[in-house]
Amino acid sequence: MTEGISPTRLRVLFALFATATLLLSLRVGYWQTIGRAALLEGATDQLRSELVLEAQRGVIRDRSGRVLATTVDLRSLYAIPKRIPEQDRPAAAAKLAPLLATPAPTILAALNSGAEWLYLKRRLPELVARAVEALAIPGLGFEPEPKRLYPNDALAAQVLGFVNDDGLGQYGVEGMYDKILRGLPGRLTVERDPKDRELAVGLRTAVPPRNGADLVLTIDLEVQTAAERVLRAAIEKEKAPSGSIIVLDPRDGAILALASWPTFDPARVAVADPEALRNRAVSWTFEPGSTMKAVTIAAGIDKHVVTPATTYEDKGCTVIGGRRLCNAQGKSYGTTSVTQILERSANAGAVFVASRLGQDPLYQYLRAFGFGVATGVDLVAEATGAVRPLAEWYPVDVGTVAYGQGIAVTPLQLAMAYAAIANGGTLYKPYVVAATRDADGEHRTAPTVVRSPITADTADMLRTMLTSTVDKGISHGASLAGYSVAGKTGTAQIPSADGRYVDDAYISSFAGFAPANDPRFVAVVVIERPQSKLLGTITAMSAFHDLAIDVLRNARIQPDRP
Amino acid sequence: MRRPIQARPRDAQAVGRSRHGAGTTWEVRTFVVVAALICAVFLLVVLYLSQATAVATGGYETQRLERVRDELRRQNALLEVESARLDSPARIEAEAKRLGLVRAASISVVQAEPIAAKR
Repeated sequence: MTEGISPTRLRVLFALFATATLLLSLRVGYWQTIGRAALLEGATDQLRSELVLEAQRGVIRDRSGRVLATTVDLRSLYAIPKRIPEQDRPAAAAKLAPLLATPAPTILAALNSGAEWLYLKRRLPELVARAVEALAIPGLGFEPEPKRLYPNDALAAQVLGFVNDDGLGQYGVEGMYDKILRGLPGRLTVERDPKDRELAVGLRTAVPPRNGADLVLTIDLEVQTAAERVLRAAIEKEKAPSGSIIVLDPRDGAILALASWPTFDPARVAVADPEALRNRAVSWTFEPGSTMKAVTIAAGIDKHVVTPATTYEDKGCTVIGGRRLCNAQGKSYGTTSVTQILERSANAGAVFVASRLGQDPLYQYLRAFGFGVATGVDLVAEATGAVRPLAEWYPVDVGTVAYGQGIAVTPLQLAMAYAAIANGGTLYKPYVVAATRDADGEHRTAPTVVRSPITADTADMLRTMLTSTVDKGISHGASLAGYSVAGKTGTAQIPSADGRYVDDAYISSFAGFAPANDPRFVAVVVIERPQSKLLGTITAMSAFHDLAIDVLRNARIQPDRP
Repeated sequence: MRRPIQARPRDAQAVGRSRHGAGTTWEVRTFVVVAALICAVFLLVVLYLSQATAVATGGYETQRLERVRDELRRQNALLEVESARLDSPARIEAEAKRLGLVRAASISVVQAEPIAAKR
């Protein structure tokens, strides 16, 4: 039989087999040595899966520990359409429509879209998720997704800020403290079977996530609620486009409440007016008007150029730098003491004190009280206000700045200046985060003294004068039964783009504190463009009055007057 | 005629019995040892399998319990949120208003100092 095969053919065949064997051996050798790691990696990849363990975002609480913002896993509803028989889809869509608040045709279109997997609705409220679950529709499933929840709805929205869809904090403390709230994600490596189930006895290595720190704010939920209530009432009464209220503790600069209008719901940022995201107490500036007279007079007394009893002859107007500056409505008061300047809110009187003081000391005191520079509050987008450099001042500026024109401040800066008067002359750095809590424990924020712009004696005199302003003077609308109140109204014109003032439009404000003898809170109320024009200060005082009642009751502060 | 019984040679008989008896013992012993080994291996395998099954079952039970724990934590977080929502001063104020309640016009305060001074 073999006699027919030529030896040459046999040799060729042998050579072919030998070559093939050699090549295969080399290949096998390659995979066993050089390519081993790649093969092993491929095999491991098929078996193992790596999961990112998201860190839990920290909870934000008020000063009493009540939840202001927290993250909860809500269930997102997904569908695998091919598992829902085609004839059953219209019925499924009809059942889901009322629960998901989505039209049935929209759901049906999604199910018939040809997608293999799709979300029908993300982050469902728990009750809705349970109702959908009870329908037991095949092909539907749930997947947990984290959702930031704000149990008090829009309350303190500008303080809190919000978390965007990427899980990043924006605005407020969510933005300012995003890094520590977010924490660090962990990693989990597990082995899975072909059905993608985790093997019970397989490899399981985990680097646990480091959860974000909790924040305890200085905000008092009751005071914040009261501030927002009275601000809304004032805004509605005056049909004003915007306003803000800030309440703080003068003893350490802790912010108790911060209300800003317009506002937004952190849970529905997508539909919010961009202007509503702006925290007007911190990121907006205005010419303060007569509330600034207290600062001017504090500077004058501290510099010993006037005393509360110093008098001048008020003729209604005064000339400075070649310009005539007048009292409101040109009223003249005759012989007027420095205390009465505040009681009557006499512009000419403020000019008188500033003239005695001089440009340079006035400027230095404004800076010492913190105007023209950010307070350093731990909230994003703080405005610095505007105090022009002394070199840019015209001679008339010493007069206008004395009663709060030609200078721009934030409501927070004004509140801090009044807090310095209230607490005996110390300017604190305001803050909203009282403590952070993480795995290492609680870290409390220590109050920070910035400087002492005036002496305790000056502050004491100012408290008495401002109390007199409420008791006998123009700020009487802020007086409270049983409590001493100190404060000052402010009506400011609004500068326009062309450098003039807008006609017949004002910003009304009131800055004050109570009890005047032992101040426990300072509040600043600002209403922009009130409908009642010059009488907007009455609404501002009324708002302060209503707010003060709640704050004093809430803090259980005993009356200091019969 | 009866043939006399011929005695078998001693040696032959002894040799024959000893060879047969020794073979049986070796076979039996071998059988017993092998059977014992098989049984032992079988028992070990059964033991290993039962242990492995127990571990696997335990593992799946652990996973189930972890899921239950996570769900309970989630439910707890949801309840905390609901509690905070119900506790919200704004909601309580709105509810009080709905019920026709009004804010107290004034609150009487009892001064502590005079009382303490009288004691």
